Amino acid sequence: MEINDGGDDEFGFSRNYFLAKDMAASGKKSTHKLSDINLVDEQELRAEASNVEPKHEREIESLMESYKSLYSKWVFELRCGFGLLMYGFGSKKALIEDFASTALTEYSVVVINGYLQSINIKQVMITLAELLWDQLKSKRRTPSRNLSKAQQPFNTRSMDDLLAFLDGSQVEENDGIVCVVIHNIDGPGLRDSETQQYLAQISSCSHIRIVASIDHVNAPLLWDKKMVHTQFNWCWYHVPTFAPYKVERMFFPLILAHGGSAQSAKTAAIVLQSLTPNAQSVFKILAEYQLSHPDEEGMPIDDLYTVSRERFLVSSQVTLNSHLTEFKDHDLVKTRRHSDGQDCLYIPLASEALEKLLSDMNQ
Amino acid sequence: MAPSATPIDSSPPSTSASVDNNLQPFFVLHKASSGKSERKSTGSGKTRRRIDLSPSLQMNANKLEAKRVEECDDDCYVNLRVEAFEIVWSKIESTIKNVLRDVNTVVFIEIHRWVCQSFNTIMSSRTIAFHEATQAFPIITDASSKQLFTGLVLTKNMEFVDDLLTFEELGLHLRSQRCRVANLSSLDFTVKSGINGCLRSLLRQFLMASLDAPDISILASWYREQGNYGNPVVVIVEDIERCCGSVMSDFILMLSEWVFKVPVILIMGVATTLDAPSNILPSDVLQHLNPCKFTLGTPTERMDAVIEAVLVKPYSGFSVSHKVALFMRNYFARQDGTLTSFIRALKIACVLHFSMEPLSFILGGICSEENEQVLQDGLLQQMVLKHAFDLPSYVRNNTGEHNGEIFYRGLLEMKKLQKHWGIVVLCLYEAGKYDKIRLLDLLCEALDPELHNFRTSDTHTKIEEDPRPFSSNYCCHQQYPVFRKGGFIVRALRKVRDLPIVQLCKLLQRWEELTVDVIKIHEKLKELRPVLKSENDNSSKEDMTNISKRQAARSQLYMEDTKAVYEKATILMECMVRDYMQPIECIPLHEVFCFKNVKKLQSALIGDPRRWIQVDLQESHMILCCRCCSGSGNTLLPTMHDTSIMYNLAQEHGDLINLHDWYQSFKSTVLCPRSKRKQKSKQALSKKRKNLTEPENLSEAAIQARFCSAVTELQITGLTRMPTKRRPDFVQRVAFGL
Repeated sequence: MEINDGGDDEFGFSRNYFLAKDMAASGKKSTHKLSDINLVDEQELRAEASNVEPKHEREIESLMESYKSLYSKWVFELRCGFGLLMYGFGSKKALIEDFASTALTEYSVVVINGYLQSINIKQVMITLAELLWDQLKSKRRTPSRNLSKAQQPFNTRSMDDLLAFLDGSQVEENDGIVCVVIHNIDGPGLRDSETQQYLAQISSCSHIRIVASIDHVNAPLLWDKKMVHTQFNWCWYHVPTFAPYKVERMFFPLILAHGGSAQSAKTAAIVLQSLTPNAQSVFKILAEYQLSHPDEEGMPIDDLYTVSRERFLVSSQVTLNSHLTEFKDHDLVKTRRHSDGQDCLYIPLASEALEKLLSDMNQ
Repeated sequence: MAPSATPIDSSPPSTSASVDNNLQPFFVLHKASSGKSERKSTGSGKTRRRIDLSPSLQMNANKLEAKRVEECDDDCYVNLRVEAFEIVWSKIESTIKNVLRDVNTVVFIEIHRWVCQSFNTIMSSRTIAFHEATQAFPIITDASSKQLFTGLVLTKNMEFVDDLLTFEELGLHLRSQRCRVANLSSLDFTVKSGINGCLRSLLRQFLMASLDAPDISILASWYREQGNYGNPVVVIVEDIERCCGSVMSDFILMLSEWVFKVPVILIMGVATTLDAPSNILPSDVLQHLNPCKFTLGTPTERMDAVIEAVLVKPYSGFSVSHKVALFMRNYFARQDGTLTSFIRALKIACVLHFSMEPLSFILGGICSEENEQVLQDGLLQQMVLKHAFDLPSYVRNNTGEHNGEIFYRGLLEMKKLQKHWGIVVLCLYEAGKYDKIRLLDLLCEALDPELHNFRTSDTHTKIEEDPRPFSSNYCCHQQYPVFRKGGFIVRALRKVRDLPIVQLCKLLQRWEELTVDVIKIHEKLKELRPVLKSENDNSSKEDMTNISKRQAARSQLYMEDTKAVYEKATILMECMVRDYMQPIECIPLHEVFCFKNVKKLQSALIGDPRRWIQVDLQESHMILCCRCCSGSGNTLLPTMHDTSIMYNLAQEHGDLINLHDWYQSFKSTVLCPRSKRKQKSKQALSKKRKNLTEPENLSEAAIQARFCSAVTELQITGLTRMPTKRRPDFVQRVAFGL
């Protein structure tokens, strides 16, 4: 019976996929442009976005409250050597940190913010080792083997040594355990396979327990069976919180803050301001050419060179090229192949935006 | 980058500090508080608890007692249960390890013999002068001598995860036989670290030191040291299919050059077929290998061995219900297919059991044979009495007085019945082996309480009530009315009838061994022995192929005798199944031992974020339990969670979502015409909500900001992909359906 269910699911999934594909291919594809929306200024948008009035605050709070009854279970499983993996819609940052600071007071807790762009996993391991060292030292029952090892400071040790230290023999339950909380173990800073391997190795250490959260629907694809079954040893918990991803989304661009032509013209103007007057004038030549020849694919480089040289803006091809590189680096200018095979330069802005830009520059 | 420590006390950190922490890659939330752990450790000490708490409890007034027990629920009982879990699980784990080692012992011995042979071959062909041996470069005499003895271990299993333990055990086995062993995995053979990676790992394991500049000559000088010289050096590579081919070939070339100085013998795990090395290694490298083939047991064999040891033989005291067993079987067969995952499922079931069942701490004592002591402990007895007689299985079966004695007797009875059950299952399995029935299937059926109730409700006579040893009035040709048609038990029973007489003889012998502790059955089996013996003698004299022809010529009497033996054996087995194979769920107090909650197990074992995150978004109002959005059916209300609205709107699009259209529909949902909504839900809506979201108040900027946030949240969950430069006006949908 279950097999049939599974089959239906599978079938349903592929059917949905092809239906969706079909819908897109059936020619009904909408041609509306993002620019048709009367987009507000980015500053204003950001300001608004940072204080969007939250909905269902009370319900979210009581939802969080309801998870508190699970804390003791979670601690139980951690103590038994499992890792906890939280998933479900909504930011789980507050939930997990609350759990850690109320129920895990017996253990040292290190929090890793996986939603950040870059995380130095070795630094994390050094911190873990130092914490564990302090903890073992304070118990005074530290085996002498560890003592001698610690002569060398942790930050000069290799990853393997650190892992070996964290995986040392368990003295007594509770004593030498450091909990690692990882927000967004599937986040951009931790997503690469090498880091995941290290995390898996860390979590299989006898002195370490892991509480992690995932938000991406495909996060389990990060792990192979060895990691899942023998290293992370997850206990899964579905804990949707519906809390806004306030911190997590800080590093994502706002979708309506980029596409608009006004926006690009504005950034272009800012970039141009920082360039030399000669470079600005070269850009102006290109812009004027593009406005006067709206149907053409762009301005051939040779033509641009000739005109610029005539106006004493550049003395050689090299100087022009250096200007062009500058433009291209800032996405002010792009090249495309003309129908007769020649490379053409164009500015990736709509005519109105370009006009506005020129008028701004002339002021 | 430097981690910042926040104060230890539990007061919420100030906002600025937490913002600071949010942007740290990592930080120390708090350090272990010594105070609490002291208190806890007092609670966890078993002996101390007895001294400290029991007398104090007696002194307490009645009204305080209940409260105190509650408190203890939280504290020492949890500790007791954790302890019990550790005892029980370590027992199960070591049992599993032993079983797996036993399964592999034959191969291990074979491998060791081959290692010794290969080593002798290398040593006999090498005669190096002292000055040669101390040089820091390899000795090359002729090309043919650069052969590397390589054992290819066929794991017969695509899932390498099941063989990690096997190779670990193999390493231990060889080490115990005075070999120097290093285990390498595919992680050591990566393009990134190259040959240095595997060399470093090798030196790390042999020399116990990590070196900045690994070199094979270091290994050579290590081998010359006292204690190493004269022992074979074995390098085990767990999964060659997953290793990087070029690094692997460099490694092999290097080892083969140095094979005279460091007599390395390679052992490689091969998941696919014997030609795996030729698929990843170039032919000039292959020339250096001198392969030999070994084969490990199949996953099914191992699985059955593990189940027999852990779930059928009453070792641990921990058991699973019929439904849980079914779930675990399906999980094994359809989801993952690895023994490792099965064991993990068992472990999760175990930990869930101990975390949910208050009385489960008894298992720890039962495991270490001190259950009587557990019950004599005043406090514990209180606990037991408080919970035990509320167990549904107890309430169902008993009425009357409640005391520790009854409970204790119940436990003993339970133990006995479980033992009988295990014996019968094993007997069935012995018979089923001839029909290739797997123990896991048999186990699932044997655990089914409904089948058992069905069987016992039948009015056939029981063994003990029946005066005649084997009633002939009970005929098995009636398609086993009391057993499920087509079930595994029936198949095993039927197989008993179809066995050749020699095999039947063996089977009955095996049954006799198994049932030694159950006297009643054992006696009956003994009765069968003389009958069989005479027949076995007769038949063994004959050539088996000619038996049927000659038998035809024999007397009618003999035929009838044979028939009777089969009949008797089958009937006996049937009686055993009916009377002795009582599934754990039919026994009072089974809740203490038996884990039953399939749902909990499933959700802890298999997280399905792809499905559940979408379900969350589809049915946000159900999870939030808010009054304002429920009862809306399929219509989207402006009060719903923004991301949920967006997700539901996205369902109407194809694989590409036009941002403009999406925004417009979001906007119109949020600004849902008031008049329309008002009429519909005037009464239902609370005043508060009306005040909360006055659509008119929403500025364009606010709507756009909400739209942006919702899109970002969908992006974080991975349900949509951002616009590309080629399609700036579209986002891509990633998930289609649950």
